[in-house]
Amino acid sequence: MKLADAFSFGIQALTGARSRTWLMLLAMAIGVASVIILTALGEGARRYVANEFSSLGSHLIIVIPGKIETTGDSPPLIGGTARDLTLDDALALERSSAIQLIAPLALGAAPISYRQLERDITVMGSTAALMPVRNLELARGKFLPEADPTRESAITVIGDKLKKELFGNKRALGEWIRIHDRRFRVIGILKPLGESLGMDIGDIAVIPVASAQSLFNTEGLFRILVQAEGRESVPRAKQAVIDIIKKRHDNEEDITVITQDALLSTFDGIFRSLTYTVAGIASISLAVAGILIMNVMLVAVSQRTAEIGLIKAIGGKREEIMRLFLIEAGLLSAAGAAIGIIIAYSSIWVMGQLYPEFPLIIPLWSLASALGISLITGLLFGILPARRAARLDPIVALAGR
Amino acid sequence: MIRLEQINRSFEVGDETVHALRDVTLDLATGDYISIMGPSGSGKSTLLNILGLLDQPDSGHYFLDETDTTTLNETDQAVARRDHIGFVFQSFHLIPRLNAAQNVELPLILAGIEPGERAERVAKALELMGLSDRAKHRPDQLSGGQRQRVAIARATIMQPALLLADEPTGNLDKHSGDEVIQTLEALNQQGITLVVVTHDPEIGSRASRTIRMVDGAIVGEIPRSSPGGTTP
Repeated sequence: MKLADAFSFGIQALTGARSRTWLMLLAMAIGVASVIILTALGEGARRYVANEFSSLGSHLIIVIPGKIETTGDSPPLIGGTARDLTLDDALALERSSAIQLIAPLALGAAPISYRQLERDITVMGSTAALMPVRNLELARGKFLPEADPTRESAITVIGDKLKKELFGNKRALGEWIRIHDRRFRVIGILKPLGESLGMDIGDIAVIPVASAQSLFNTEGLFRILVQAEGRESVPRAKQAVIDIIKKRHDNEEDITVITQDALLSTFDGIFRSLTYTVAGIASISLAVAGILIMNVMLVAVSQRTAEIGLIKAIGGKREEIMRLFLIEAGLLSAAGAAIGIIIAYSSIWVMGQLYPEFPLIIPLWSLASALGISLITGLLFGILPARRAARLDPIVALAGR
Repeated sequence: MIRLEQINRSFEVGDETVHALRDVTLDLATGDYISIMGPSGSGKSTLLNILGLLDQPDSGHYFLDETDTTTLNETDQAVARRDHIGFVFQSFHLIPRLNAAQNVELPLILAGIEPGERAERVAKALELMGLSDRAKHRPDQLSGGQRQRVAIARATIMQPALLLADEPTGNLDKHSGDEVIQTLEALNQQGITLVVVTHDPEIGSRASRTIRMVDGAIVGEIPRSSPGGTTP
């Protein structure tokens, strides 16, 4: 029996039993579609996070006081360090040619008040470089001016949410607000940027770093944000940071340097495994589809006993009958997978229209594996019915039920 | 051409052992026309199944064209069925979703013959059965007699040496039955060996040889001098 004939026989058999065929196609299509859609969602989440990270500013290096031996974890909020990271350390970093900008960061919580309104917020002490390093944008006014970072100055740039809560719709620029026991003049308002690195940009006040240090009465910096000259100079800048600080700290490497790549790859890894997990769960539905195909094929075998007996009587070999039924199962899986892919693509297109900011992309590997798994399950679960058909005794089969 | 030697076949039915065939010995020459008659359960169908290689004897030998078929494996037996034996069944056994031409074509497909040649041979076979205008009709659009003739076309499309018919007229009215028998006899006259299992004495008596079976054994044979088909 030629393969082409076996295929056309299978197609005839499938089109001859329409409702049965549609049922199996539907099962397989749902299985395949769910695998593809769920992996696309997982992959989309991964890309979304990656995009969020790149909005932090590219070529970013974060210097944290204290040495953390493990990597890949989120940076500790409290560094159990012997030596503080000082403003002088930060300024010393500017000597490296690989480093373009540095933004020292002193952080603390403080009450902020305007007339009778008072709020507890995060106060960020930094320099003018914070704006380019963190990709901040201003809604109004100016950012901290380029000035000697060691000098205090009673000016502040506040987040938009804070502005609304303190001033409402009134003008905030030029007004004096009180942070802790000091007065600061509002010179700028930040554009909302959303959550980034776990910090709500809308709910902060940025003041000069020296002012923050004296406000919180500390020499130590929370972080130093370093921007490398370019993406390729990130490793060089990282090494420069370590070398310079080490020299200043009596040859002790008591800082942790995190590059954005490292952060990114950590999150990347997490989301990738999430995607695989989701794909694995979805493939259970493919297995269910396979079992359905097996059941329906078994019913088909018993309904077509006479036909199988006849084919045997007119000289069909055992392996030919087996092949006929396997081809039917394979055709079903392939057609079901094709329908599933169409369903997946159209629903992802619809989702893309509804949530354009969420990057939904069907990874090629998920397409390939959904196709592969559906074919494998179809054939695997087709084997049992096919064997049963092939082993039928032709006399019994021809005698009817 | 065909020699059965001491064929025994028994089935287990519940606790009992039913001897369907007891020491059956039979010789058939090429071009023979033989009818097998006997009451229900006498072993006619079992004998036919063994002749058609659908069933294997428990003991004894079956020589088909000098080949001892009892030594063949399942695949070789399937090939032997395909190439040498044609079956005609009481209930036709046409595949309902396939049209007449496609049903007739099946053995050719199994034998792996090229589509061009297949179409030619199917057209010729249908023409021979007077069914050219019914080629595209599905079995449910054909009369009983037409269906059986489609089945005969299918049984003979591989030009087998042996044609086995199990109650070929059992589901047909008198007129259609006569037509079918005449068709079978015409094939026999062209040299095919024809074995017909039947209840109907009228049909059985048309054969050149009639074998009577009771309880799995051949109890008598009525040879006739005149060849089948010519007796009125």
